[in-house]
Formats: sequence, structure tokens, C-alpha cells
Amino acid sequence: MNISLNWLKDFVTWDCSVEELAEQLTLVGLNVEEISDFVREYPGVVVGYVETCQQHPDADKLSLCTVNNGESVSQVICGAANVKAGMNIVFAQTGALLPGGFKIKKAKIRGVESFGMICSESELGLAVKSDGIMELAPDLKPGTSIDELFGYKDTVLDVEVTPNRPDLLSHLGVAREVAAITGSLLNTPEVWSPPKAGKEAVDFTVEIEEFADCSRYTAHLARDLKVKQSPQEMINRLTAVGLRPINNVVDITNYVMFELGQPLHAFDLNKISGNRLFTRKSKGGEKFVTLDGVERELTDQDLVIADSIGSVAVAGVMGGQRSEVDEDTSDLLLESAYFNPSLIRKTSRRLQLQSDSSYRFERTVDWENVDFAAKRALYLLQKNADAHVVSNFVDRQDPDRAELNTVPLRVEQVNRLLGAEITTIEVVDILASIGLKSKLLGQASDRKSVTGQLMVTIPSFRRDIFIEVDLIEEVARIYGFNNLKIESNFRSGTGVKRRECDQVLDKAADYLTGSGFSEIITSSFVSLENVHNLGIVEGDYRFEMMRIHNPHHGGETLLRTTMIPSMLDTVRRNINADAEIPVKLYQVNSVFLPSLKLEHELRHEDEKLLPLERKVLQFAIAGKEEQAHHSLPMVLMELKGIVEQLSIDMGEQLVIMPGGDEPYYQKGLQFILSNSAGDNIGSMGLVSRSVLSKYNIDFPVSIVELDLGKFGLNVPTVKFVNYSRYQASTRDLSLIAPETVSYKSIIEAVEYSAGKLLVDVEMFDIYKGKNIPSGSVSLGIRLKFQSTKSSLKSKAVDVAINKVTERLSGTLGVTIRD
Amino acid sequence: MEWLTEMRENGLALIAEIDSIDSLEQVRVELLGRKGKLTTQLRGLKDLPDDERPKAGAALNKLRQEYEVLIEERKTSFAAQKEATLADGCDLTLPSVAPVTPGNRHPLTSVINEICDIFYGMGFSREDGPDVELDYYNFTALNFPDDHPARDIQDTFYINDKVLLRTQTSPAQVRIMEQQTPPLAVIVPGRVYRNEALDASHVAEFFQIEGLYVGKDVSLADLKTTVLQFVTQFYGDDVITRFRPHFFPFTEPSVEVDMQCMACHGDGCNVCGKTGWLEIMGAGMVHPNVFKAAGYDSDKYTGFAFGLGIDRIAMLKHAIKDIRYLYENDLRFLSQFRSVR
Ligand SMILES: [Zn+2]
Repeated sequence: MNISLNWLKDFVTWDCSVEELAEQLTLVGLNVEEISDFVREYPGVVVGYVETCQQHPDADKLSLCTVNNGESVSQVICGAANVKAGMNIVFAQTGALLPGGFKIKKAKIRGVESFGMICSESELGLAVKSDGIMELAPDLKPGTSIDELFGYKDTVLDVEVTPNRPDLLSHLGVAREVAAITGSLLNTPEVWSPPKAGKEAVDFTVEIEEFADCSRYTAHLARDLKVKQSPQEMINRLTAVGLRPINNVVDITNYVMFELGQPLHAFDLNKISGNRLFTRKSKGGEKFVTLDGVERELTDQDLVIADSIGSVAVAGVMGGQRSEVDEDTSDLLLESAYFNPSLIRKTSRRLQLQSDSSYRFERTVDWENVDFAAKRALYLLQKNADAHVVSNFVDRQDPDRAELNTVPLRVEQVNRLLGAEITTIEVVDILASIGLKSKLLGQASDRKSVTGQLMVTIPSFRRDIFIEVDLIEEVARIYGFNNLKIESNFRSGTGVKRRECDQVLDKAADYLTGSGFSEIITSSFVSLENVHNLGIVEGDYRFEMMRIHNPHHGGETLLRTTMIPSMLDTVRRNINADAEIPVKLYQVNSVFLPSLKLEHELRHEDEKLLPLERKVLQFAIAGKEEQAHHSLPMVLMELKGIVEQLSIDMGEQLVIMPGGDEPYYQKGLQFILSNSAGDNIGSMGLVSRSVLSKYNIDFPVSIVELDLGKFGLNVPTVKFVNYSRYQASTRDLSLIAPETVSYKSIIEAVEYSAGKLLVDVEMFDIYKGKNIPSGSVSLGIRLKFQSTKSSLKSKAVDVAINKVTERLSGTLGVTIRD
Repeated sequence: MEWLTEMRENGLALIAEIDSIDSLEQVRVELLGRKGKLTTQLRGLKDLPDDERPKAGAALNKLRQEYEVLIEERKTSFAAQKEATLADGCDLTLPSVAPVTPGNRHPLTSVINEICDIFYGMGFSREDGPDVELDYYNFTALNFPDDHPARDIQDTFYINDKVLLRTQTSPAQVRIMEQQTPPLAVIVPGRVYRNEALDASHVAEFFQIEGLYVGKDVSLADLKTTVLQFVTQFYGDDVITRFRPHFFPFTEPSVEVDMQCMACHGDGCNVCGKTGWLEIMGAGMVHPNVFKAAGYDSDKYTGFAFGLGIDRIAMLKHAIKDIRYLYENDLRFLSQFRSVR
């Protein structure tokens, strides 16, 4: 909301600087976002007198004039038809600067020199369009600066008005706050008052269908008026606050709205059929052309103003073209009303039509001000449009309207909530400064106490105040938040420990970042195409995605059930940006799965409408096309190693089992991850080539996903196990194993058969090809034996090795190579 | 002899900047060479008044000695370095055998962690709320009337009439109060969603932290104490703050907390939009209607709530001008935050 300080000065005075005023307003809750100077000046533009005026020798439509600027006479060419000798005109001399940065230079037009320009109103920025040049009063002295006539200087405050304070959407409202701050008196504007005697009858009625929709409607008639341009001061002020001046009648309705906060509407009385208006719901399906020339379809939920033919206005939102005031209007009907805020809001939103008027109605207007604002407008119509105001008028009011206008206030509660010690009398004074009168309940001696009881009367312009705490806020903001003491002894509590789930996440993040992974944060939205690209199809639980009803323009429309697309997308963009390979990324974000909640688990019956939000830890490696042992992809085996180490870090024996059938991982190159309780908690795999090609990724990518809700929690405290101080003994075995036998089963067979002395087995070599029978693999494994009781005898180790070789050849067909 | 002090300081600064044997020679010529500053001054001595000349001459000679010693020291250290570098034919300046280059957390995560750590110390514990939320918790229970302009502050993504993407972390307030009994002190970081046009300061998904404290006789002064403790720990002791009344449907009185702009110290600049102040959080006393929705007796309990925008904090802290950098996940951006704790 823009506030003109010149305008504000009509109502209130202050003697501090603009910056201080802005600061003070901000500190009582009217945040001044910007202070700007509004300056309209015309350097080099003066009153000129046309001494002679002849036709241009080479152009029919141009005139060759001599213009006197009070000191000298210049030759000027003018294209306007209305220029003639003996006129006072607006003369922009060479070097003058017109609005829009247009600089006047000496020019040669059709061979004749011209020193300056004779201006129209539009060239001065005073009108949108104009016919011909501007004729000035004959008594003006040539050479007088145009600034004296049309220049304007103002300071405009852009204030942030919160939705609870519609009273501040006007200059008078802001003036009330200024008065509260400065203690200055508040002036009220001049209004029309009906004559005491000789009242004319008003030949007009208004029918209100539902008082719930419109609890007050006043209609005044103004006759025999002249539609013309508004006085300069009104044009200046409207322009300064960002409104476009149109004509005196429209300008007055806008002016009063910005002055007093009440939207008004003027109908051309002669365009209204019959002498009755109705405020009623639209019949629905009705086509209606609003003032902006747009045809809109109304529903039976929209409140309209109608005459005997049909609608003439969408109530509180915008008038109709049919009854619009134009240059020929002589009689008008002035509407000032109170419409149901939520009704106006619904219509305005449905029509996507927010006007200055609907903006105020939906925030609630001041019921008492309905009449006052109308009378202010009538005063201005008399003054600026020579209107004859018919002395009687229509004022329909809801007879059953009951408004709360007193609210009790306990000063004790003020102090309790603010942590202050404000006395009763201070509270009374603070409230009085913003127009809230209070009555002391109880004894006069309570005035000095900090526990008095008050009954506060709420004026009609502050109907945002309903309950005690609303009053406490008023006291607090005027008292000043910055004046409240700080209780240094307040302690919100003593330190707390991080939750286990946060500790798990931190620990995992520490490990992953240390291993080269960087964290990314990706969108919760996904497109159907992206999910399709993964091969996730109907029947997969992740195919059931929640749809955004009103998506971002051009944005994705579904809530993700998988984070794979976001990871692949990020990998691709980084590779395209020449990121160093391997690219290692991780993320912890939520996916939104179909809810599995049972009825009795719901705290709120609608909770069943909510998805199951699962927090997933995902990490990925995009690396070079390299192979680990046995032709396995390096990126997958490296990731497997990371998961194994992470599992140890988490104190959880994560079980990594080959298997799984995720459609986006390559068949046979994926794992199922489960926790020690046997719950499936994630998956890992090599992204299939077909999926990668859809993302235009040329590098192999492996991904792991872990359900954080089931990972790493409840880790038992580590208990130290004593280690052996005796020498260990290692033996290497070279095995020839059939390809059909897995490494895991070999290791299991070794561990099963080697006895208690075996402390570790590891692979040190794997080979296939030359010198190895086809269908077999050569494996080198190293066994480490150790006793906790004594040094090992070589014989004990031999016994163990024999058992191992027997087991391997007996059950698995694995032989020892010599 | 001010000129002498100044000359000495300039010379010492030049010597300090020497970083190679080449630059050493350059500085030596500039300070001590035949056309150097010192020589020029010595030659100019004859133009000085008689009574000043001896003193100035002595001082200049002393300065020459000082320069010579310092430059010689640097020269020796370069020589020693060179010797060590190639001792036994080993060039130890060759690149190291790099270990894995570590990655790092996202700067938003780091800010969240830093803020949470401060509040852990003040007795707040961390909670979560769902991203997909009921209209009831996001609006109705937070005292946003239906069809009220207060709802316009936030452009909401709806799934249907009853379900939406939370526009703020505040819905967690009522959820937590439904589950816990006072006194309670919680913080809730999380992702929020707004259907806004995207630009350098707006994205549709971003992060907030909500705080809630409820107990007996909790006051606005307590809120101020808590906020100031946080601000001092996060931004430093010398930060200037102000509290300004504002409006949030779910708190009353409501405040916004501003911090004096660090870039211009309150004079007004581009960082603060010429106002000299930066808005750092919204806060207020829990509205009685919110207590009512949670089933609390507002005559028995009072409390305060606050909310912080994480993105803005991260942007201010790391001088990020466009919010979209935070969500592009480009390693050229992310890898700059390795040293963030
Ligand atoms: Zn600044």
C-alpha cells in the first residue's frame, strides 16, 4: 500500500524526519518497505505566448509560430490544429526535459528550423491522450515555470499491511497510527451533510436478498454533474500512490477508497433500468462484461448487483460495462456497502479478478465507515463535478446485526504474557492512543497496580480485535517490543542429546563424505515419464503416486515414490558439466508411498489420506568402464565395499544378498539388503544400460538405497573382546573351483570346516583362462589361524587345512592346485 | 619524520610479499638499487634544512641496514628450500599421491545442523513433521480461517481439498502438542512447498526450522531471551537486532526479528534492500486458538513459537546471490563447502 505524505498531512502532523517516521511506523507494526520520492518536474518548460502563427511554407498540417518566453522570441513549429496567435501555451524550450527522459533539441522540419516544442497534456504526462496542445489561462505571465502549475513533489511510503489490519489500507488509517505515535490530533475530512430542511424524496429502492451476504447498502443519487478532468491536486496524489487518473467521478471513488478505505462504485443512473437495485446471487451461467471489457461467466455463488434487466456489477469486485460512467454521464448512483468478506474472496479468486475494491472487501471494511465514505465522496462530487446531491438516500441495514464491541482485558494477563510490569493506567493510555477506550472495573486505586481489570470498547474500524490476546498485542506493539526487558534468568532447558535417527544419519554422512560422496538435495516432484523410464509400471507399488492438483506451470506433477530419477538426473548434469569421474553423490530425502496405516493408528480421521513418508539414504557412483575381478563392474563392487564398511560403522550386520528384481537395475547385477532382523531395508544394483541411455549417461552407474527408518538403530554398546597375543600362522591355498560354485559358498565351507583356530579368510587372487580348465576358476585364498591360549603348532594347522580341503572337494568339487 | 615511518612500512610490506627468488631480486632493486627509493632519498638529503640533515641521514642508513638484513634472510631461506627440494635427487614438490577426495554435506544440511546444535544446547529436541500434510494442520488448527486472506500469504500446492504440501513447518506445532505434554521444547527442520513463480529468491521447495516452547508462565520476554541467545551464538556477539510487530494467524503477539545488515552496518545496501535490516525470523506467542486445537488450556499454559528460513540464512552466510544454486546440485557449487563445519 502506497501512502502519500502530502495526503497524510491532511489528517495528521509530525515533526520528525521521514526516515524517523518510517522507523517508528515499522516498530509499531506497519513495516515501511520503501521510501521513495515522487517528483514530477519540467526543467526548461515555461509558459509561452504565441505571438504569430502562420502555415508552414512546405507542410499543410504544420504551423510556424513565434513564441515569447518572457525574455525572447523563438521560432517553433507546431503540429497541433488548435494552435493560434494570442494563446498562452506550454513551451518546452531547447534543452528542456519532458517526462520519459525526452529531451528537446533544435530541429529542422521540412527545411525550417524549430527551437522547442509546444506541448499537449499527454506530453507533460498529465493525461493518457490529448487532442491538441494545452491552452493555459491568459493571465499567466510568459516565462513562468511550468513546475509552478503542474510540478509535484511528494514522498511515498510503501507500507506492508498485514491481512489482519484492513483499517491500514487507507490514508486515514495510517494517520491514526501516526497520531498514536506522535500524540498529534487527528483531523477528519470534510463531508457532505444532508440539508436539515426541504428534503427531496428519493425515487429509488434497494432490495437485499440476504443480509448475510450484504449487511449494509447505501445508495445516493447525484444529478446534473459534469464529467471532466479532476483538479490537479487530486490527479497528483492519485498518480503518486500509483493510480491512473481517469475522470473526476471515477477519480473520486478511487480517492475516497485510498483516503478512507471504503470501496465505492458509481453507476450511470440513466443506464440502470427501472428504479430498483437488487443485491442477490447471480442466476448462474450468466455472461457478464466487467468494466475491463472482459466477458465473465458468473455462478449462482457470486453476489451481484442487478437492475430489472440483469446484473450491473459483480458485488465488491468490479462494475459492469453496461452501467459505466462516461463523458456523457450526468446522473449517477453512488454505492457504498458492506459485503460478506469470504463471499467476495471466493468470487474474486474464482474469476481471478482481484481489484483494489475486492482486496478491501475480503479483508473486511468498516461498517460505520460505509456511510461516512459515501458522504465524503458526495462532498467531492459537489466540489469537483458540480453535482446536485439528492438530499434523501437509501441506507439498508441488517436489522439483526449484532457486533461485539467490548472486550475484557486483565492487566495481569498482559504482564504475564509479555513478561512485563505495565501498570493499569499505562495500559489505558496506550489503548487510548489508538482509539480504544477502556473502563476500569473495580477500584480507582487499581489504576497504579499491574493487575487491574478493564472493559475495552472496540471502535468499528478495529473489528480485528475479538479477544483479550488481540488487545495484549496492541499494548505490546505500542509499548514497543524493543522496550520489553530481557529476562536473563530464563532458561528454556538444559542440553539435550541428538535423537538416535539423527546420530545414525550423521555417522553415515561422515563416512560417506569421507569416502568422497557429496550431498545433494533434490525435488520431491517427479514426472510420470521419469518413472516410466525406470520401467516402473502399473502394478508396482511405486506406480501409485499422488498428483498435485494445481502444479507449477511447466513443473512436474507427481510426488515421487522413488529417488532414482533425481539421482540419475543429477549425475547426468554433473557429467555434462565436466565433473571429474567418478561422480559420487548421496542424498537423504523422502519418498511418498501409498499409506499402510491402520484405522486405529490414526490420530485424525483424515490421516488415512496421507502417504507413507519414507526417509531414504541413497548413494551412487558413476565411474569409468572398468572391471573388478572376474569381469564384475568396478562401480558396483566399489559400492558394495562402501556398503560393507558402512554396515560395520553402523554396528549392524547388514546382509547383502545377490538378488532382487528392480526393473532399473541390470538383471543379475543387483542385491537385496536386509538388517539383522531380516527386514528388507534396501537394494543395490548396477543401473541397466537401457535406463542410462534414456538419461544420456555414458558411464556405468551403481546405486544403493537404504530405508533410514530401519537402518542402524538400536545398536548394542560395544563390548571389548580380548585379542590373542600369540603368533598367528597363515596358509595360502590355490583352489580350482567350478564356475557354478560361488565364492561365498567356498568361504562358508572353509569357515565351517577349519575349526575354532581360524580367525580370518581372505581372497588374494582370482584367475580364469590359460592353464585353467574351462568352466573353472582359479582362486587364491589366505587362511589365518591363531589361538588365544598358546603358540600354534604347525601340526594343528595342518589338521585344519586337511579338513578344509576335504570339505571343499567333497561337497563343492573344489580341488587344490599343486 | 612521518615520511620516514611511512617509507619504512611500505618497504617492509614489500619484503613480506616476496614469494620467490625472482620477486626477491625485484624488491631488492626497488628498495636498495641505484635508482631505488632509499638511494633517491639519500641523494635528496642535501635539500633538507641543516638541522634536519644529520638525523635524517642516520635514520636512512639504519633503514638501509634493516632492509639488507631482511632481504638476506629471505634469500637464505629460499636457498635452503631449494636445497631441500632437490636433496638426494628427490623432488618433493611433485604432486602427492592423493587419497580419496572427500565430499561434503550440502550447505543447507550444514546450516540446519548448526542451528539444531545451538538449540540442543538450549534444551530443544528435534522432531519431524510430514511434508504431505492435512489442510487441518497446515491451516485450520493454526487459526487460519477458511476463505481468509491470511491464506494468500502462502500459495499452496493441493493434492485435494483436504491434503496439501505443507507451506510452513508450523503444522508440526499442533501435531507435537497432541503427542506431548508441557513443558516442551522442540525444533522441527523440514522441507516446505510454495506454488510461487521461480526467480533468484524464490523456489517452490525450500527449508525452514520451526521452534516451539510451551510451559507455565512463558512470556514474550522469554521468547526474546531465547531468540537473542540463538542470534548471538549463530551470528556473533556484536549483532544488533530489533523486534517488530507482525502478523501470523497462529501467534499473538507476533513479531519479526531483524538483524542489522552485516554488509552495510545499517546504512542500506543491495544485500538488505536499502533498509539496513535483514529479516531473520518470524516468531510470537502461541495463539489461544492453536492451544485449543491441540487440546491445551490456554489459561494454564503459554508458549512461544518461531520459524527460520534456512535458505536465506545459507545464502547470507555464504554470499550466494541466487537461491537456485542451492538446488542445482552442481559439484562446482557443492565442493566449495568442504571446510564448512
Ligand atoms: Zn545492507
